[in-house]
Amino acid sequence: MKEKDSGSMKRNRLIGNTITYIILILMSIIWLFPFFGLIMQSFRSYDSAVEYGGMVDYIIPKHFSLDNYRFLFSGETNYLLWYKNTLIIAIFVSILQTIIILCVSYALSRMRFRGRTLLMRFWLILGMFPGFLTLICLYFLLKQFGLTQAGAVPGLILVSVASSGMGYYVCKGYFDTLPIALDEAARIDGATRARIFLELTMPLSKPIIIYTALVAFMAPWCDFVMASYIAFGHDKSYNVAVGLQRWVWTNDYQGYFTRFCAGGILVAIPVTLLFMFLQRYYVEGVTGGAVKG
Amino acid sequence: MKTENKNAAAGGFSALGKSISQIGTTFAEGDWKTRLSYLIFGFGPLARGQIVKGLGYLATEIAFILYMVFFGADYLSKITTLGTVETAKKGRVTVYGDNSFLILLFGLLTIILIGVIILIWYLNIQENRNEELLLKAGKKLPSNRKALGSLLDTNFDKTLLALPTLGIFVFTVLPILFMICVAFTNYDKNHQSPSNLFTWVGLENFSKLFSFGKAGFGSTFLTVLLWTLVWAFFATFLNYFLGMGVAILINKKGIRFKQLWRTILVLTIAVPQFVSLLYIYKMFANDGLVNGYLLKWGWITSPIPFWTDPMLARITIIVVNVWIGIPYMMLIATGLLMNIPEELYESARIDGASPFQMFWSITLPYMLFVTGPFLLTQFTGNLNNFNVIYLLTKGQPQSMRLTDHAGQTDLLVTWLYKMTVTDTNYKMAAVIGIMVFLVTAVVSLIVYNMLPSVKDEGGFQ
Amino acid sequence: MRKLATIIMAGALAVTVMGITANADEIKVWVADNVVDFTNGQIEAFKEANPDFADYDYVVEPVGEGDAAGNMITDVEAGADIFGFAQDQIARLVSAGALIDVEPENAEKVKAENDPGSVAAATVGETLYAYPLTSDNGYFLYYDKSVVTDPSSLEAIIADCEAAGKNFYMEINSGWYQTAFFFATGADLTYDTDNDGNFTACNANYASDQGLVALREMVELKASPAFQNGSAAGEATNVAAIVDGTWDAGAVQDLFGDNYACAKLPTFEGSDGKTYQMSGFGGFKLLGVKPQEDEAKLAACDALAAWLSGEEAQIARFEAVEWGPSNLAAQASDAVQANEALAALGEQLQYTIPQGQYPGDYWSLATSLGDSIISGELSKDSSDDDLLAALDKFQETCLSYAQ
Repeated sequence: MKEKDSGSMKRNRLIGNTITYIILILMSIIWLFPFFGLIMQSFRSYDSAVEYGGMVDYIIPKHFSLDNYRFLFSGETNYLLWYKNTLIIAIFVSILQTIIILCVSYALSRMRFRGRTLLMRFWLILGMFPGFLTLICLYFLLKQFGLTQAGAVPGLILVSVASSGMGYYVCKGYFDTLPIALDEAARIDGATRARIFLELTMPLSKPIIIYTALVAFMAPWCDFVMASYIAFGHDKSYNVAVGLQRWVWTNDYQGYFTRFCAGGILVAIPVTLLFMFLQRYYVEGVTGGAVKG
Repeated sequence: MKTENKNAAAGGFSALGKSISQIGTTFAEGDWKTRLSYLIFGFGPLARGQIVKGLGYLATEIAFILYMVFFGADYLSKITTLGTVETAKKGRVTVYGDNSFLILLFGLLTIILIGVIILIWYLNIQENRNEELLLKAGKKLPSNRKALGSLLDTNFDKTLLALPTLGIFVFTVLPILFMICVAFTNYDKNHQSPSNLFTWVGLENFSKLFSFGKAGFGSTFLTVLLWTLVWAFFATFLNYFLGMGVAILINKKGIRFKQLWRTILVLTIAVPQFVSLLYIYKMFANDGLVNGYLLKWGWITSPIPFWTDPMLARITIIVVNVWIGIPYMMLIATGLLMNIPEELYESARIDGASPFQMFWSITLPYMLFVTGPFLLTQFTGNLNNFNVIYLLTKGQPQSMRLTDHAGQTDLLVTWLYKMTVTDTNYKMAAVIGIMVFLVTAVVSLIVYNMLPSVKDEGGFQ
Repeated sequence: MRKLATIIMAGALAVTVMGITANADEIKVWVADNVVDFTNGQIEAFKEANPDFADYDYVVEPVGEGDAAGNMITDVEAGADIFGFAQDQIARLVSAGALIDVEPENAEKVKAENDPGSVAAATVGETLYAYPLTSDNGYFLYYDKSVVTDPSSLEAIIADCEAAGKNFYMEINSGWYQTAFFFATGADLTYDTDNDGNFTACNANYASDQGLVALREMVELKASPAFQNGSAAGEATNVAAIVDGTWDAGAVQDLFGDNYACAKLPTFEGSDGKTYQMSGFGGFKLLGVKPQEDEAKLAACDALAAWLSGEEAQIARFEAVEWGPSNLAAQASDAVQANEALAALGEQLQYTIPQGQYPGDYWSLATSLGDSIISGELSKDSSDDDLLAALDKFQETCLSYAQ
């Protein structure tokens, strides 16, 4: 009796697992398909002598070619410059934003000062205004400092970093979980707040630092609204998102779709690799952030 | 929440009253150094050897006076009209007149700075009072070294927050205040600086938003608002439950290659959206890959209008958003599911509960409880989810039933963006922006009070 | 902490240094990406011919005609000193103060040397505001000879496309292409402008029997499975015929290879049984100069704009990128006369009206009308009353744009 029972349970589990595998495999196909298509397109030549380079309704190119990649590196466009700009922006934003978020989070988590809750509530309310509302104002503000068009790269860094203090939630949540007894012990030993922050809290915060830096690093690769608004009319200040989306959206660049795909792949590779390496920290960060809200 | 605010407001008023009376007592009871400090900031501290503090106050005052004389006063004086001198032409050369934009921006800044300087003036008085009281009590004033050193210790919060707060003020607070003001002006394509002036118009733009006549925005606004809410609802909860479902599938005992499945899904987070979403848009276009193959295989005779039929476009967007959103939720759920004590499931299993019953009575309540605030931020985030909509449809298709560039998949934010960038209709963009704020704030308030973790703090701990 | 401060200081310093690059002696030129090199070459020649103006720093940026107007209006100061744009933007640019009237001496020359349509397109109210650059901003039919047997009738084209399982492209949700139907049946839509770019009057009769026939034809066309909305050859798939302009001639040649052919737009048989020749806009690309505060720089800009739009430059541009000239002498040159696409356009132009000034909102409104057709809100099955109601609303909104 018992044996039969466990036998049927086993069978049930087997069926259950098979169904699960089928679902997971189907999902993987759906999830990977756009990337597969993107990669295939990037290997279709735009040179009509090789293969018709406009839009087509098939996936696998008839002739694999590296023409698109060659084009990107040929210097015919400023693609490499856009890439460099984005990398510079991403690195600076990543470093500076992390510093600012750490400072703010530490102050809000560990110190009790007048107006603390008021400040947090005020920032919460500010966050409810849609970001693009202030585009025009930010543009003219930056222009006052000469940070538009030719100066758009530092301008973008400044804008991205300046208001980053408001994104303290996840990091503060992490600091809140660090035992406060450690701080108190150090203070009894005569350490200043600054020393505690730098020498005690920081070394314990590796996961959250990596998470914050990773998220900050990834954002600029996708920013085209702010970037195009600040850099308009100055090709050399574009980032990859602005430069590439013009190939798809403006009529001046017809037949650039395969080149867009190749450019997109080159953007995706480093970001994806970095993400995969640091995935563990990302998961920790988002999970922690989700629980703390 | 509400009562708290009221208390805060009441507390604020009584504190203000106290501060004002203190300004009086300090003047009445203070010595000449203190009294002179009412005019010359930091004079008292300087005279008492508090060089650092004194110089700080004095420098602030001088900087403020210089700012006002050379810059602020001029802008401030024009803020009521936003400029009167029109752009003119001398021969063929253009002579620009007043720049309404800069007048409004810097006028606003000046008003805020005046507020700040009053606050500093008050702090300066308080400092004098404190010093006098300390001296009277026979105590010594802290040395300059110590005052500076405190910035790394007891006053470390000021050091940490100074730069971030300044950044937020200049690049968030000031622009938002500016745009709120713009909602009460006629700043649009016909009134654009520096060539043309704009000026205050009162509530005209708001009445346009709520007028339902032919030229009014009313019905369009409501359509867009409704879709924004519907979208945010589906985008949040569909992803939430499907993501959780996928996490449970992957976590299931006996399923192998867990890391592989996760990595495949997580690709959508890693690859920048402007690449993946633009590709997906082309894929589902009437003449795109999907329709191309379906036609080739003879499954359909005419292309499926994924993006051009309004209803279908909305559904497609939500489905594509699932593609983006599941992995994110899956990651979060994976971590949280492991935290649920295994014993709960064990005892349920002994009671003969089916997997679905276990999900319904253990997993779901737990997840909803821990992720309540997260769901709220997701919802408000989705209200403003620009990228997904704009990279896919740009808000299209438009319709004769909607006015002013609005499309049937436009969210309030994408509509706002179009008004700003395509139409340079800043005044209406500002009005819409304020509406977005109100919607977000109202939704947050309602949902926040409904959250189980707020209602029932003890819950699962 | 000190390190942090140093980094911030260094950053701030770098920022200020990089910021000071706006140059008063710089003349910025915005043109489409594919003519950047050509324009640079022309500017070199211009500098040689005009040593007085050679000291300026000329910078050519790739900003297409589509973006130029929007960017100019966002911030005139940061915009280009000389920029190319499509004529539909001119009124908007004038009212935003982004265009200065053409220098009187040049204006005389422009009016004498260019075709009258292009001069009218560059004129707002009574004032000439821009230099005509091309007269090729019109559309006609490109088709695949192996599929389309009779390019003279829309019904025949559609039938061939359907039979071959191929697509017919026309961008019916664009205010520009839509007029091919409306103007064909005799419906009318024009605006009057004053000297400041304000629209003073609107003459429209879309809400009429003629308008109804045109709209009916559009919903009929949309009902065909072969129909696709679009006008960009490079973005189109499985194409047998496309309504497009000369700027895409190269892309279409790639597309059709040996079967490349072009013709004027076809005729269609309206719901009233009559046959109509498709019409549309003949449009122009223009070159504008931004208002200047400095007299010497203005003179340089005037001279350069005149140079870039002159006869030699137009011929050279045609040879480089096949843009059809607006200059009468250039139009008469043998090379231009021999161009197949321009010949088809020329044939089509006799059925079109030169495009006048239209308010920016018109284009968005027309997209709404087109989208309503494409989404099926207005369809083959809609009653005449439904269609007329849409036209009524369209016309009324058009009228409301004129003050």
